[in-house]
Amino acid sequence: MAECIVITSGKGGVGKTTTSANLGAGLALMGKKVAVVDADIGLRNLDVILGLENRIVYDLVNVIEGECRLKQALIRDKRVEGLFLLPAAQTRDKNAVSPDDMRRLVADLKEDHDYVIIDCPAGIEQGFKNSIAGADRAIIVTTPEVSAIRDADRIIGMVEAHDLPEPDLIINRYRAGMVSRGDMMNREDILEILAIPLIGMIPDHEDVIISANRGTPAVYDERSVVGAAYRRITNRVLGEEIPFPSFDVDANLWTTVKRWMGLAPVREAV
Amino acid sequence: MLELVNKLFGARQTTSKEDAKQRMKVLLIHDRVNLTPAQMELMKAELLDVIARYCEVDPEGVDIRLNRRDNGISLDSTVPVKRVTAKAS
Repeated sequence: MAECIVITSGKGGVGKTTTSANLGAGLALMGKKVAVVDADIGLRNLDVILGLENRIVYDLVNVIEGECRLKQALIRDKRVEGLFLLPAAQTRDKNAVSPDDMRRLVADLKEDHDYVIIDCPAGIEQGFKNSIAGADRAIIVTTPEVSAIRDADRIIGMVEAHDLPEPDLIINRYRAGMVSRGDMMNREDILEILAIPLIGMIPDHEDVIISANRGTPAVYDERSVVGAAYRRITNRVLGEEIPFPSFDVDANLWTTVKRWMGLAPVREAV
Repeated sequence: MLELVNKLFGARQTTSKEDAKQRMKVLLIHDRVNLTPAQMELMKAELLDVIARYCEVDPEGVDIRLNRRDNGISLDSTVPVKRVTAKAS
């Protein structure tokens, strides 16, 4: 039974596209057949993050308007068996697609894939409504910042109003050093505010930018801490119980004093 | 008074994450109930009008606000009463 997961956040720039790419690739690495769909029509980026931007011929709007078959528009990722991208149109806007169109599209994709991952655009308008229309569940991405958390709370309410089950939460850009100094909300603070289950934490790490530069999601990199975090998320999506490693810096008095004196490193992530 | 105690015991400033958390808790309640600030003020005024029919209240000390509860939101109010004016019927 195939499943459609929408990756959403409300606020822009918190890591929806990175998460869509890594979760899609992660599920494919686990032997699943996956379609990742870029629903950000007019501002597509999932193609670049996946390194598939040079292979686009047709896009989502072409499929919906019947200008090509679904199979023609799906780009097969050659690095892993079973990963396909349906790119967004770049020269159209979000009103080119309706929620009914998306429901039909997702139903078609589910016939031939185990997972359909939808990369939702920022905002709460048409693009968001299209993205959640065909979804069976939602993953909300936030960062430990007040603006991202506020928007996440609003999106959680909208997801539940659309009769989707309680969404799961990814906390992105976690900075252990700032948390230990009391300058960033920690995991418990955020979960207390948003009150939905946690499915993953991603440290704020340069690997995210490096992997985006290369068009190769971090999940492929065995040594990357970001890749490891996304592999854990992948396994949790598949229903496994994976413990959460602590990213937090040891904050006892002695290490704090040493850090002040510049003798101990401020470890930002495991 | 509290400030004095804090000074005496050298209490630190709150950390920025505590500020963030407190502000978020209050903000999200108001986001969730979808009441505009004007509606909220109107509701407070109407509530006080009703209470004033029965009691003489001290308007200075009135505090009516939305708070989080485990399973939702509550409207908590503190309304200092100077004197109960209504006659027992």
